Amino acid sequence: MKTARTQVNLMNVPIRPLFSSLRRNPTGAVLVALQVAITLAVMINAAWIVAQRLEKLERPTGIDTRDTFEIGIVGSSRKFNVAQAESEDLAYLRGLPGVAAATVVNGILLTENGGDTDLSRDPGTNGPVVGANFLTVDDQALNTLDVPLIAGRNFRADEIRPLTKGKQTPPSEVIVTQSLARTLFPHGSALGRIIYNGDSNPLTVIGITRDFMGPQVGAPAYNTVLLPTMPGQAGLYALLVRTRPGMRDTVMREAKQHIGTAHRFGITGFSTPLAKAERQMHAGDRNTAILLTTVTALMLAVCCLGVFGLTTFNVGSRRRQIGTRRALGASKRDIVAHFMMEGALILSGGAFLGSILALVVGNWLTVHYALPRLDLVYLLGGVLALWIVGLLAAWQPARRAADVPPSVATRTV
Amino acid sequence: MLRMQDISKIYRTDLIETHALRELSLEVKAGEFVSVSGPSGSGKSTFLNIAGLLETFDTGLYELDGREVSGLSDDARSRIRNEKIGFIFQGFNLIPDLDLFDNIDVPLRYRRMKADERRKRIESALELVGLASRTKHLPSQLSGGQQQRVAIARAIAGDPALILADEPTGNLDSLMARQIMDLLEKINAMGTTIVLVTHDPELARRAQRNIHIVDGVVIDSPPYQSRFTQFPPRTTAGAAAE
Repeated sequence: MKTARTQVNLMNVPIRPLFSSLRRNPTGAVLVALQVAITLAVMINAAWIVAQRLEKLERPTGIDTRDTFEIGIVGSSRKFNVAQAESEDLAYLRGLPGVAAATVVNGILLTENGGDTDLSRDPGTNGPVVGANFLTVDDQALNTLDVPLIAGRNFRADEIRPLTKGKQTPPSEVIVTQSLARTLFPHGSALGRIIYNGDSNPLTVIGITRDFMGPQVGAPAYNTVLLPTMPGQAGLYALLVRTRPGMRDTVMREAKQHIGTAHRFGITGFSTPLAKAERQMHAGDRNTAILLTTVTALMLAVCCLGVFGLTTFNVGSRRRQIGTRRALGASKRDIVAHFMMEGALILSGGAFLGSILALVVGNWLTVHYALPRLDLVYLLGGVLALWIVGLLAAWQPARRAADVPPSVATRTV
Repeated sequence: MLRMQDISKIYRTDLIETHALRELSLEVKAGEFVSVSGPSGSGKSTFLNIAGLLETFDTGLYELDGREVSGLSDDARSRIRNEKIGFIFQGFNLIPDLDLFDNIDVPLRYRRMKADERRKRIESALELVGLASRTKHLPSQLSGGQQQRVAIARAIAGDPALILADEPTGNLDSLMARQIMDLLEKINAMGTTIVLVTHDPELARRAQRNIHIVDGVVIDSPPYQSRFTQFPPRTTAGAAAE
């Protein structure tokens, strides 16, 4: 004998009488449909956010994080001579046998410490603007980052704007990452082209590097512009050091000890291996992904409990009706199909509302949190997933309904 | 139409066994209007449930419309209930959320009948019971008698060979009960076999033949005598073989 499990055909279940039945007793169905809608909206957008985070986790930093560290120095007094300190620190570091390259920068890579600027192809505020993180560096930056140029040239030593008291002379040359170059000039090479910063200063692109992650302040991770300017205007700077393989911890310890006592009015603010900064950068994304996945799974479970509860209640309160249907000729699979279709209608109503809600929430996230616009594949996938899981939740009570004997129809109590 | 031979049914719990039917034998010919009566607990309802394939039995033989039904699968029993038997319940058993049209439509849909055919049958059945103008009403908007008439319409819409009526007037006043009995007689006169289970002797007397059950055994079953002059008794033996 074939089981009802293999023969349930929802297409044989009349929709209109089910609709009219739900319309006359809407409370439970409406509540569960709302629960489905909210769950779906959260689930779809959470999945979309998690996908973004996972995509971020998989992106390479583009720099040698294993052998590179940063030390931050901050002046403890106005008497702190930043330019002299930078010069002495670089000379010291470059003289260490374990150091492969060292440079001075204005931020901490892979963290949210640094600067960002707006760049455009047109002066003024009329043209389209591209956000970019910026690093003020010397001519050893690319060597230290171990990032190759894919077009153009590096800064020459004589192009580096020295640190001066008062306003620094703005640079006129920049090096940009490949992503930033493509964003600024999608239809041609950026090399040799002039771009403008927020102050409308013209900057000539003299080099394009392979993508790497700079400080991630307010712009996409790979949008970084390098400016040939010694940092330290605000009395603080960071030393970026790449060591020879396996020497990082030894060199960092030694450098930190030396630099910590080298400056009379400067102190060592921090020392961070970039591998640690990378782990911390990913930890946020990973934790967000785990949290959102957990919350979504819980909401989905509660939603399934709602569908399960409603179907169980309907089966329990309609035993006599089920018996009557069986007496009138309904097979067990007809009964299963009846309750499955009822569940499917509620899920479909919830999915319709939830899809609209998901789009609204997605749009809000795009506007307020710069999240990429919701991919409709996620919407369709979410609807399908919730529909299937919801129907699975209705399956067990529907099977129980099929076990109601037809003789229940003739019982008077 | 209906032949039972030595049918026994025992209800068992952990502590007791209740012999609901003890080797019960009876026969109902096609076109008969038979009442089955007996005191409370005599086995009337068990008989009705077994006759209507709502319950199985332990021993014996049961032929319905020429077909032995004891070994049938649940699906096959459902199909026979749907195609050959019309039920009329004491409590009407209408589905409260469905209007009259949809209530009568329930068994027809389970037969996978086409929409046009269903509509014709529903309208015709409602016409017969005098409720053609109330198709969109809910059961709760009708009196008890009217609800039972809808239940009768539901029972006859599928054109069954046998109607099993379980105390159909039990919840009605005497006037409405008479109307229901008139309607059943009218349906029987059109050739449909009717088995009426009742504890009311007056109603039982209105049947062509009364079978009296006590303690799960037939006490009194007068022989069949046809009273039809206008319509021949209907049989669906051909349909049963399909």
